[in-house]
Amino acid sequence: MTGADTLRRWALALPAVVVITLFSILPLGVVLVYSFLTPGDFGNVKWIFSTDGWFSVLFERNIFDDTIAISDANIGILVRSIVLSLITTLITVIFGLPTAWFIATRPVAQRNFWMFLITIPFWTNLLVRTIAVQEMIRSDGVFNRILLGLGIIHEPIQMMFSNFAVLLGMTYVFLPLMVLPVYAAIEKFDFRLAEASYDLYASRLFTLRRVILPLIRPGVIAGSILVFVPSLGAYVTPRIMGGGKSMMLGNLIDLQFGQGRNWPLGAALSITLTVLVLLALIWYTRLTSGRKERNHG
Amino acid sequence: MLDIRGLSKRFGYGKGEVTALHEVSFSIAEGEFFTLLGPSGCGKTTLLRLIAGFTGPSGGSLVLDGKDIAAMPPNQRPVNTVFQSYALFPHMTVGQNVAFALEAQGRPRSEIDPAVDKMLTLVQLLHLKNRKSSELSGGQQQRVALARALVAKPRILLLDEPLSALDMKLRKDMQIELKRLQRETGLTFIFVTHDQEEALTMSDRIAVMSGGHVQQIATPRELYDRPANRFVAGFIGESNFLSAKASAGVVEVGEGRVALADAPDGPVTLMIRPEHVVLSANAPDALELQATVAQLVFFGTDTHVHLVLADGTRLVARVQNALHGGQSLNEGERITISLPAKALRVVRDEEVAA
Repeated sequence: MTGADTLRRWALALPAVVVITLFSILPLGVVLVYSFLTPGDFGNVKWIFSTDGWFSVLFERNIFDDTIAISDANIGILVRSIVLSLITTLITVIFGLPTAWFIATRPVAQRNFWMFLITIPFWTNLLVRTIAVQEMIRSDGVFNRILLGLGIIHEPIQMMFSNFAVLLGMTYVFLPLMVLPVYAAIEKFDFRLAEASYDLYASRLFTLRRVILPLIRPGVIAGSILVFVPSLGAYVTPRIMGGGKSMMLGNLIDLQFGQGRNWPLGAALSITLTVLVLLALIWYTRLTSGRKERNHG
Repeated sequence: MLDIRGLSKRFGYGKGEVTALHEVSFSIAEGEFFTLLGPSGCGKTTLLRLIAGFTGPSGGSLVLDGKDIAAMPPNQRPVNTVFQSYALFPHMTVGQNVAFALEAQGRPRSEIDPAVDKMLTLVQLLHLKNRKSSELSGGQQQRVALARALVAKPRILLLDEPLSALDMKLRKDMQIELKRLQRETGLTFIFVTHDQEEALTMSDRIAVMSGGHVQQIATPRELYDRPANRFVAGFIGESNFLSAKASAGVVEVGEGRVALADAPDGPVTLMIRPEHVVLSANAPDALELQATVAQLVFFGTDTHVHLVLADGTRLVARVQNALHGGQSLNEGERITISLPAKALRVVRDEEVAA
């Protein structure tokens, strides 16, 4: 290879290198560096090295006697974020799969219409959508009024500002992200295989378990990642639906950069979130590439 | 063993209604290699799908071993299918594909494993047991599909144009292989194809179908020698057709005449195979006609002689190429040809239709 060739290659790669550096490596670097500094008195940071930010992710120091204890609040939020995100993913699978199946088995001409219906919420502002869900389950919201009106309950059910409310909001917001990849996988599915299975004495359930699900699995896994990752970092939905009672990681980070005035802790929490997402992605790639070994028996 | 009684199938509603199968009735015997032969759209695949249970009939019944199975779902019928696309499960190995039917039936592992090995040995694929089905060649996939459909010992094996995706050489090998498998297992095969050669070489009996009707059911030999109508004659092998007039057991074509006992009075259509046309005048008991040699086409083992009669009717004669040339013909030459009475067949012009 000549020198001019090498130069040309570098020149062609330059835009990508600049974009990645500017928008990915640099900001992450800043966050990483900040996580090892000391909080400033009115926000921001002092340029003094400290591991307190990372320490506070999991532990807290008693301000009176300096004893160290595990931070129940932070761990609670961390666990809640992971659990709520997993449950959201599970619920979107349970509702998204039949939905995608229904759409993929409509006549070709009708499929676009159904897909359009699924994606409409996508074109709507997230805040507006979330507030709409809130409107449904508030104490004087649609559900409670109907139930009260029918005489089924005599006092409004308190649904807002709970894990349930957050789950409802996130499921609603992220459902299309599950339906789309699962739909794509089902559309590619060769229905003659289901026919073959049915011919070979398999019941519908056996066909679903042994033929259909394994073959649309990549779509379900892709959908799970698409739902799980933004769920983990969700901010708007838990803020509106959970309030201060059902905080998630995104809200905790926001708190540190705002009222908490602890930027290093916020930065450390951000990195923690990134690592969690990374772990999920590694799990995803291992699941999709290691399929060969998993199909025995 | 399988009685098909007045089976019909219609698709669509109202004006868009299409009848794919018109009240078909016939029986298939135990251990028979039975072929449904016809051009695309003749209803043969519809009939196969009805027997498999993928679609329900619009009318009639399907009696297997004395029991009507027409309303039974496919997974309860002791009938398995080898699909045209093979439809092997791409996420499974060869062994898992073959084991599928037995697992679906809930058989114990101790019974499944030896059965799968035995089946794979039968189709000579035991060495590929752990290979993914998507990593096999077309011929190998074909064998896996066969093993998968045979492993649960169905009463009937349905084969939907299973050889159409293979190349010529492989197809010939598989024809022999299929016939061998059928003999070894003693199973009843119902084979669907549009390839007449495939049908003739493999079948015990053939049902020739067209327009949703069965035109004729006969052994390959009978089908070739005594086609029931013009459609069957034209579809099976090559045929020459002549318009003739018959009266009192004598048929007349132009200047030639010959006694043909089974000819009904009036205008009739005669059929003769190209290999039975004699290119000389001295055939006894034959229809003698004047013809012009229009074209000679060399085919290696034989030569096709294209002839034109005085009334413009075109005939083809097939002459075996002798070692020393034999009689030599030239294009444009006028000759006398003979059509032996024993090779002439009176065929009905109209096919079976609604």
